[in-house]
Amino acid sequence: MTQNGHAPIALNAEQVWFSYAHHDAVLKNVSLSIPAGKHTVIMGPSGAGKTTLLRVLAGILKPSRGRITVFDQPVDGRGQRELSPLIGYIPQQLGLVRNLSALDNVLMGALGRLGDTKSLLGLFPRQEINAAHAALDMMGIDHKSAEQVFHLSGGERQRVAIARTLLQRPRIVIADEFASDLDLAMAYEILDRIRGAAEKEDITFIMSMHRIGLARRFGDEVLALEAGAIVRGFIGNEILETDQEDTTV
Amino acid sequence: MRSKLFLPIIAALFLLAVLAHLGFFEWDRLARGFRNLRILGAEMVPPDLTILPTAGAALWETVEMSFAGTLLGFLASLPLSILATRRLFSDWISRLARFVAAGIRTIPVLLWAIVFVILVGLGPLAGTFGIAAYTVGYLAKIYADLFEGTDPEIIEAVQSTGASKLQLVRYVIVPETANAILAQVLFMLEYNIRASSILGFVGAGGLGLVIQIYLQSLNYRRLATVLLLVLVIVLLMDGMSAWLRKRFLLSTQGS
Repeated sequence: MTQNGHAPIALNAEQVWFSYAHHDAVLKNVSLSIPAGKHTVIMGPSGAGKTTLLRVLAGILKPSRGRITVFDQPVDGRGQRELSPLIGYIPQQLGLVRNLSALDNVLMGALGRLGDTKSLLGLFPRQEINAAHAALDMMGIDHKSAEQVFHLSGGERQRVAIARTLLQRPRIVIADEFASDLDLAMAYEILDRIRGAAEKEDITFIMSMHRIGLARRFGDEVLALEAGAIVRGFIGNEILETDQEDTTV
Repeated sequence: MRSKLFLPIIAALFLLAVLAHLGFFEWDRLARGFRNLRILGAEMVPPDLTILPTAGAALWETVEMSFAGTLLGFLASLPLSILATRRLFSDWISRLARFVAAGIRTIPVLLWAIVFVILVGLGPLAGTFGIAAYTVGYLAKIYADLFEGTDPEIIEAVQSTGASKLQLVRYVIVPETANAILAQVLFMLEYNIRASSILGFVGAGGLGLVIQIYLQSLNYRRLATVLLLVLVIVLLMDGMSAWLRKRFLLSTQGS
């Protein structure tokens, strides 16, 4: 809590526009404020610009116009290494290296704070290895830490991707269509574990989803994106209560 | 219809013209060739096995040259291919690296051997450098293309952990392309074994010198022994690389 009693703003976007080269604008004047410690779900039909919005918020894509700040610090002009203590990003396909073990993939979360020499030799400090096991354990998958990622199931891979981001220790995690391909029970279990981890590590999650059941389970706030613009914002996800259990929008 | 046939007809006519120019339709010569083949075949059997110690030593030298040359070339090709990867380095750096690789690749391995005979003198060292040079040019190009094909989502995800370029290479690009890296080195090793058996023609060591001597002295029974040895070593290499592929590649195939 800040002095005036409001939660601090984790991420703020002001009149953000984005277009890929020689194409029409994908994001049109998007403004949003995401309070720290609240989990925000962004919903919208496919093609609405959800992935682009998340990539712009994560600092991977540079907005054509507008301004993004993370905990009052501008994102623009800062490299990924500099942003890594602030923002973690999990793409839709998770971005895991399939030939490496679950543990190796999680340890990559620590690369931003390690020097080249030792990490290139594969020498990670003992406390990072312990922390990686702890992150896997928090996601309930430490018993598979030595397995190569391509031997893992879809749900197990999602846990590994989250564990990698937990080891990175960012203040905000942005995840694209997370848990979307999983069956409902599995998705609920993983999302519950994420909420637990987020509370423990004080992380703010921003996720895009297209299943209302999942959004209701996970989101404190839901934003609806349509044709590159925020069309609705719901606080406390009240409106979702009237919808069916697990439909898509 | 006319336009569909136009290209094949032109190609066929061109092929006939070229073959005529090359002497393909001089039947006397071809008939003489078949007669000579019979004589050559007869003069090659039975192979003269008394030269096995000499030929065996030369063969071992060839294997050493190709093994060392392939590995040295492989090691040198890695930094060059990383520099040539556009996703990692700026346009002009990758262009320059690709230009260097293309330049090295343009020169055939036999010419590289001649260059190194001039630089370091006669013998297997020149052959080893020649093989290494050609290998660098070839592998750097193949690897740069492979590296650029790495799934951009994985690179983005690991970049957002704050990984440096070198860390990306070590933890994403190399593991993701490991299968193809190994397959290409094995291919190059097989290729170099064959190629290095003629480098002795220009004084760069190995079997080539022995082959040349027996050819010039028309000693075909001895030549047959050497050719059999080359066949054996190539078959052994094929077997070894098949085993390596099975051992390392199959275990990593999957979704």
